[in-house]
Amino acid sequence: MLRLFCAKTRGGNMLVRCYRGKLSVWAALCVLVLCWFYIFPVYRLPRDKDIVEEVLRQGEAWQKNQTGIDHYRKLLTECCEPRKMFAVTKENSPMGKVLWYDGEFYHSRTVNNETYPLFVQENPLQLPLKKCAVVGNGGILRNSKCGRDIDQADFVLRCNLPPLSKDYVEDVGTKTHMVTANPSIVEKRFQNLLWSRKAFVDSMKVYGSSYIYMPAFSMKPGTDPSLRAYYALADTSSNLTMLFANPEFLRSVGQFWKGRGVHAKRLSTGLFLVSLALGLCEEVTAYGFWPFSVGLDEQPVSHHYYDNILPYKWFHAMPEEFVQLWQLHKSGTLRMRVGCCPPQE
Amino acid sequence: MLRRRMGYADPSSGKDILGNRSLCFIFICAFGLVTLLQQILYGKNYIKSAQQFNRLKGDETGNWTGPVNFSDDGSLKPARNGRKRCFRQNFQPDSQTVIVTPCLSDIKKKQKKRYLENYDGSYEYNSTACRELRQEIMDVKVLSMVKTSELFERWRNLQVCRWAQSKEETSNFKMSLSRCCNAPSFLFTTKRNTPAGTKLRYEVDTSGILPITAEVFKMFPDDMPYSKSQYKKCAVIGNGGIIKNSKCGKEIDSADFIFRCNIPPINEKYSADVGSRTDLVTINPSIISERFQKLEKWRRPFYEVLQNYENSSVVLPAFYNTRNTDVSFRVKYMLDDFDSQRGVFFFHPQYLLNVQRFWAVQGVRAKRVSSGLMLVTAAMEMCEEVHLYGFWAFPMNPAGIFITHHYYDNVKPRPGFHAMPHEIFNFIHMHTRGILNVHTGPCT
Repeated sequence: MLRLFCAKTRGGNMLVRCYRGKLSVWAALCVLVLCWFYIFPVYRLPRDKDIVEEVLRQGEAWQKNQTGIDHYRKLLTECCEPRKMFAVTKENSPMGKVLWYDGEFYHSRTVNNETYPLFVQENPLQLPLKKCAVVGNGGILRNSKCGRDIDQADFVLRCNLPPLSKDYVEDVGTKTHMVTANPSIVEKRFQNLLWSRKAFVDSMKVYGSSYIYMPAFSMKPGTDPSLRAYYALADTSSNLTMLFANPEFLRSVGQFWKGRGVHAKRLSTGLFLVSLALGLCEEVTAYGFWPFSVGLDEQPVSHHYYDNILPYKWFHAMPEEFVQLWQLHKSGTLRMRVGCCPPQE
Repeated sequence: MLRRRMGYADPSSGKDILGNRSLCFIFICAFGLVTLLQQILYGKNYIKSAQQFNRLKGDETGNWTGPVNFSDDGSLKPARNGRKRCFRQNFQPDSQTVIVTPCLSDIKKKQKKRYLENYDGSYEYNSTACRELRQEIMDVKVLSMVKTSELFERWRNLQVCRWAQSKEETSNFKMSLSRCCNAPSFLFTTKRNTPAGTKLRYEVDTSGILPITAEVFKMFPDDMPYSKSQYKKCAVIGNGGIIKNSKCGKEIDSADFIFRCNIPPINEKYSADVGSRTDLVTINPSIISERFQKLEKWRRPFYEVLQNYENSSVVLPAFYNTRNTDVSFRVKYMLDDFDSQRGVFFFHPQYLLNVQRFWAVQGVRAKRVSSGLMLVTAAMEMCEEVHLYGFWAFPMNPAGIFITHHYYDNVKPRPGFHAMPHEIFNFIHMHTRGILNVHTGPCT
């Protein structure tokens, strides 16, 4: 109306154009504000300090809640079917199936006779698993003496090829049954496996005969390094088994958590593993999930237990994820270990 | 409008009597006519030459004298048959002072039967008969001077002579090689001839320069693993189809040092013909790119292939162009990963350039010398006596029977890249001069 009025009274073409110009500026501003709200939501959570306080208030008290566990497993099974779908298998991805990348906007790869033989026949895990331990890489694990606790679990899941050298054994344990590997690690640490592959193969020996879980079909640049990791392990007849994460499963898990208020471009590997464990195991304990720079005793905590390299800032929403997990902890569905583990007799 | 139609109808207004358009038309017609004529002439020629080879194959080889064939316009190898050559030579005054070359047909009439009776090389190398036969070949100065069939004939005749090394010629040749190329210190890139921090110039990518970083330097051997005239008898095995059914395996395996080109198959199926030992084998990076996906995927299959060549070292033209480098380095990394002690060497680009220049003077003008020629050149400096097996770049063997391109397959190479016939021609000359020994027949 304003524009109409303007055009009638002044009759100038120029001014209309000027208003249009202003309109586009307004539109751009609106988009910017919307983006701003998307990245920094107003409803975003309590500050770090409040979370720490709440955790302290809760203390060591934890009560297992079987109905909660069953309920969650049902929810996850309904949305994502972790038992069948968590890895790309010959069963769920026959030749010719199109795998849509979950971390790309519009990109796919068809299963052909180059990739098909690399998949396992079917879900190789013997279900149901009893006691699972999901080990994050948070700095809070350092000096936690949780190693023995973790090793007692029936199935240990770890994230992103963490170091398991002697210095850390007391805190993080030695056993591994499944370890995820981000293709970016392969790219950075092992020169994309284009040159010498010995370093990679040797460093994988720490994980014994576990499963390597790689999100090969999530990001476009991640596919080749992941396949190359498979070739490297197969060439040396290693006893590790490579599982490729199913992009469908990852997407549905992402949507599951988005519906529960985790706003991030992508979930962290830790949350994927916890969801997987909740769907597969009867009892889940999570260690080393602590995305804050201050510990419970107000002491600074490094980002990882092995280094303090901070991640790319707006990619993961770790604190939000932590709040979600903590709610599950409070309801007794899973157990979070955020402090030291009690010394065992 | 009316005017325009008029203009269109009026023939004189076109002004194209011998204008651009009609000239163009005439040119096209002329071109077409010439092409047609050429086709007809070529076609006849082709049929004729095929007939000649068919005859060569048969028993009538002895009394065959080539038909007079003057239609040598524009064909690749101007045909010039035996009678014509004799005729010309007889009238050349100086030809008699050098040596009287008998007519091809004369030789056949006089000596052919005798030679063929004892084919096993029983004639002494320096006997007069052999000298004549050798001169026969040396008279062919350029490959295009004679028909291939005639060259084959002379080559076949020479087979009756036992080969012997000519000390003088060999040492002369080695001298010129060491002046140009110096394989004992420049064949491969070594820590000694390519110090760290320097820049290596590629062979063909003139703009491509590879800085020798510590990473690259680490891959080089400390010094050249071979020295001058280290081995007594060397065998260079080409992959030509001529080696098929030659039963030369035992003879080859008795050599002190054995070179092979482009990782050829040497399994039981072929070992009777090509032998089973190998000391140095070249790998063309294009093979790795095509057959082994640049070693970016599986690596064990390639490792298994290399395992066939027990203790042999591998050598790669890594610095030919920038594309070859990564693939070649990957071979080294891969062998390290599998804890293999196999030596991996890279041809020095400057050495290859020098070799190419050396052979260009001898008439081998191609984009690139073949791996076989590189190895022969290196072998000439590394060994006292060099024997070539499986080098023959013609579609038929000296007896005129068609052969496959390789002894293991019949995949033809990219045309115009290597000048194989010229290389072989040079080898034939060198054989005649007593510098190296080319084996084309079956071994006993």
